[in-house]
Amino acid sequence: MSIGISPYRVDASGKVTGAALFPGDLTRPQLLHAKVLFSNQPHARMVRMDTRAAEAVPGVIAIFTAADVPVNEYGLTMFDQPVLVGVNANGRSPVPSDVSRWEGDQVAIIVAETEAAAAAARERINIEWEQLPLLPDIDTAVRDEILLHPEHPAQSNRYHHYKIRKGDMAAGWAAADVIVEGEYHLPNQEHAYLQPEAALSYVDEQGRVTVEIAGQWTHEDQAQIAHALDLPPEQVRVIYPAIGGAFGGREDMSLQIVMALATWKLHQRGEMRPIRCIWSREESIIGHHKRHRARAKTRWGATKEGKITAVEAEVYMDAGAYNYTTNKVMGNFHLTVGGPYEIPNAHIDSYAVYTNSVPGGAFRGFGAPQGCFVAESQMNKLAEALGMNPVALRLKNCYRENSIGITQTPLPAGVSLPQVIEACAAKAGWQVAGGKWQVAGEESPNLAVSSPPISQSPISNLQSPFQSLPPNPATLRFGRGFACAYKNIGYSFGFPERCEATIELYGAGSVERVVLKHSAAEVGQGTHTALRQMAATAVGVPLEIVELVMSDTAVTGDSGSVSASRMTWMAGNAIQLAAAAAKQEWTDEDRPAIGHARFTPPATEPLNPETGHSTPNFAYGYVAECVDLAVDIETGHIHLLRVVCADDVGKAINPRLIEGQVEGGVVQALGYAVTEELVVRDGRVLNPRFSTYLIPGVRDIPDAVESVILEIPDPRGPWGVRGMAEMPFIPLAPAIAAALHDATGVWFNEIPLTPGKVAAKLRDA
Amino acid sequence: MIPGEFDYHSPRTLQEAVGLLQQHGDGAKIVAGGQSLIPAMRFRLALPEVLIDINTIDGLEYIREDDGHLMIGALTRESDLEESALVQQKYHLLADAARVIADPVVRNRATVGGNLAHADPANDHPAVMLAYNAELIALGPHGTRAIPIDDFFVDLFENALADNEILTEIRIPTPGPGSGGAYYKVERKVGDYAISATAVQLTMNGNTCTAARIGLTNVSAVPMRATGAEQALIGKPITNEVLEAAGQAAATECDPSPDLRGSVAYKRDLTRVVTKRAIRQAVERAQGG
Ligand SMILES: Cc1cc2nc3c(=O)[nH]c(=O)nc-3n(C[C@H](O)[C@H](O)[C@H](O)COP(=O)(O)OP(=O)(O)OC[C@H]3O[C@@H](n4cnc5c(N)ncnc54)[C@H](O)[C@@H]3O)c2cc1C
Repeated sequence: MSIGISPYRVDASGKVTGAALFPGDLTRPQLLHAKVLFSNQPHARMVRMDTRAAEAVPGVIAIFTAADVPVNEYGLTMFDQPVLVGVNANGRSPVPSDVSRWEGDQVAIIVAETEAAAAAARERINIEWEQLPLLPDIDTAVRDEILLHPEHPAQSNRYHHYKIRKGDMAAGWAAADVIVEGEYHLPNQEHAYLQPEAALSYVDEQGRVTVEIAGQWTHEDQAQIAHALDLPPEQVRVIYPAIGGAFGGREDMSLQIVMALATWKLHQRGEMRPIRCIWSREESIIGHHKRHRARAKTRWGATKEGKITAVEAEVYMDAGAYNYTTNKVMGNFHLTVGGPYEIPNAHIDSYAVYTNSVPGGAFRGFGAPQGCFVAESQMNKLAEALGMNPVALRLKNCYRENSIGITQTPLPAGVSLPQVIEACAAKAGWQVAGGKWQVAGEESPNLAVSSPPISQSPISNLQSPFQSLPPNPATLRFGRGFACAYKNIGYSFGFPERCEATIELYGAGSVERVVLKHSAAEVGQGTHTALRQMAATAVGVPLEIVELVMSDTAVTGDSGSVSASRMTWMAGNAIQLAAAAAKQEWTDEDRPAIGHARFTPPATEPLNPETGHSTPNFAYGYVAECVDLAVDIETGHIHLLRVVCADDVGKAINPRLIEGQVEGGVVQALGYAVTEELVVRDGRVLNPRFSTYLIPGVRDIPDAVESVILEIPDPRGPWGVRGMAEMPFIPLAPAIAAALHDATGVWFNEIPLTPGKVAAKLRDA
Repeated sequence: MIPGEFDYHSPRTLQEAVGLLQQHGDGAKIVAGGQSLIPAMRFRLALPEVLIDINTIDGLEYIREDDGHLMIGALTRESDLEESALVQQKYHLLADAARVIADPVVRNRATVGGNLAHADPANDHPAVMLAYNAELIALGPHGTRAIPIDDFFVDLFENALADNEILTEIRIPTPGPGSGGAYYKVERKVGDYAISATAVQLTMNGNTCTAARIGLTNVSAVPMRATGAEQALIGKPITNEVLEAAGQAAATECDPSPDLRGSVAYKRDLTRVVTKRAIRQAVERAQGG
């Protein structure tokens, strides 16, 4: 068996030695260079554009604008964005193309002999804009004084609405002995992948317009390019070289369409030279979507025994200028804002709002981190109000096998949340005594008292948990917080889900060589390594003879995206089917024996528009985290001493890669919760660089992250696998907020918990 | 953004470098570690026509004690300062600061001279050298002169060097008996510039403070001394009340501007906190703690 072990990553040596080529490293003879012009206009109508001065810059080959785009629209879930903003240039799209709705709207792509010439030409494109009223935020946009998308059937900036109507709210409130309320604010987050967007494009030897780029779904990139260029998909080829991180930030289009457009148009003029474009960090941060900022008002009721009786919530998500995947992300927020708990009575409304801000879109967790922050903060407040241990309270309410979910249908079989919560609590130091979760020897039901003592070791040997500012011992406080979460694996709400795999067996008497052809994007998570391990196991051969052919639409089938923690789950199923087919062919003496499979999981359903009734998902991951932290109450600085993360992965194909995902997810979530603050004012990102947008550095990270890997099989997962890569991110922020409350007695309903904000709130408290 | 075009020279001697400065006037800039200048050029905040790279000049990187002073060559890297046993043993304020300037990668390149010459109130050395009452040695066409640190910072990014002068050495008086120093800095994350930081160097006689100099980082347009806080200490026995009064004084006399690092109120309050903590630590060190 080649699964359950941790061989080196297939891409390790290339990435360590520098042999691996990322998109910006790619080159071809006679290379041309491109630059993209952003509108830099959060809301304005283009009156006139003049490219003559730019075209006159020596070395400029061509400038392409909206007028060159055959079908001037794109969007992953609805076509609501022009590929290029320009006058009288909708092509065959109903989307008005002359309006820039955010500063990152693209206006032109300039192709030149050198980067410098392209950059010089870009500065000489003259555009006259007519300013339109700005809708910088949700509050302004919901007044509907002006519609951002008058073409949208909703006829409102509040263009999307989900509901949950479950049970009888009056009865729920009547049964409640305690009620806790909260209004929560969640910030944007930048993906901050190492590799800024870049692409190489050319027409290949078979006449296909080809884009080599970093993305998350080759075939969706292909489809979006084909749609805008009005080409059959076979005429478009997308190849992924090494990818420097993605985290959801590469799900939408950046350079895909414009690079294909420039290449295709030049080709039609007889210009065959390849083109490359590399974005700077600033362009990357301005030019791609973010985690959604959002807010939620909510009210939870529970009996004095700790049973939840009612949940009411109203959620607003800032979609930004275009939908991207907002409707799907909001679906997840909607499903998670009540937490992974059995709730008899629920009334939830979620709204997506168009604004002139940077679009919100996919980002590790996909709406669940926002929902979880709200739900788990409520749960921790309930624990306090009830004087109950937070672990015990969760175990009393959490989903278990055969639970009916918030959408009034049973959860998919294999609900392991109770075991996950218990494993996390036990590792963090809780024990069960007399049927109660507590520290041995203590009877108090209070969280602060009954949670185990924070281990002294990390504090004492550090002397100070703060690098630069040793605290005044009198101003240091310690706290512990707990949170748990669930999140879907795979596409939800009826979105067509599938994954293809091809396995080829070579040899005569025995199998000497196996080739797996697959489109899974290796974004750094290790999917190629895991897929190879699964292919070797499915065929029953040693790992060493399995070769990979990956991520090229000309030779590999549609795998769906690397997102929604789905790839190991989906690809594993597809690989098992393909391996079985190939082995059958082998028995039938075909050489090479080729097995191809297209796996589809059980169907899902959209939410009922009035009640939310549905079977929204076919699988879930479950996770719990416990955080120990120190806070300096004078300066507001927080330092994480220890994070315990228990994650049910079903079956650990490669345990070391899983630990990597846990540690990476925790650090990324620490940035979300504490250090990262995207400043967006009047539709503009004011800190598009890492000197001002602060991701955690090596000395900011927790002193210890302990992974507890559970292997409770998902009955439908290959070898029992569950998806896991998003899970460690999700509960960290509310666990930190709970620990901060434990330390200070103050609830924080807003992140990031930057020192200034924490200090101010503690001073006012 | 791409920097503008410039000429580049790498002189072998200080005299050659001064000659080049004289030749090119204020269109020329010295580049040392390049960790402030190159970013400024990238954003076109600095547009030098000529770059004079002094990394090729020998004999400007040293840390040694002589004649009652610590002598630091202008081209000494922050990482050398950080690793110096001499600094760690006797110059606690400097050792504190060296650990928290930028990150290790930047510290391998960045120089002490560049940090001061840049005259950026966000940099950590200005406050440190103000607290130490250091002296800066400049070389020009007519030889060397010593500039007291109190006279060195003229305006934001503007120092007292003439266009044709090079900073060659920093001299810190060796702390006498009963003295101690400390640097406390609060950053948003490790490696960032300070939200606020305080440098303290003081002398104690028993529990009474007999001398004190205090410098503040990143809470004013020009690197500043907290003279009000100094006065709150000098001649007094150190009590909690005195500490608080000194912290309050620093909070009042500083002049921060609001930015992504925080509001004015937060920065003032942090200045109070770091000043108190730095003083307390300096006192403990002075008293042999
Ligand atoms: C990511 C990052 C984080 C940073 N964080 C911090 C921090 O937390 N604290 C901090 O203090 N600094 C920080 N810095 C700044 C860093 O310490 C700089 O290197 C330092 O301020 C300048 O030193 P340098 O040798 O690089 O000077 P350069 O950039 O080479 O020069 C800076 C200026 O000084 C002039 N100059 C240099 N040497 C001389 C000389 N001998 N005589 C006359 N003029 C001279 C130059 O002409 C130029 O105007 C950071 C820098 C970076 C890139």
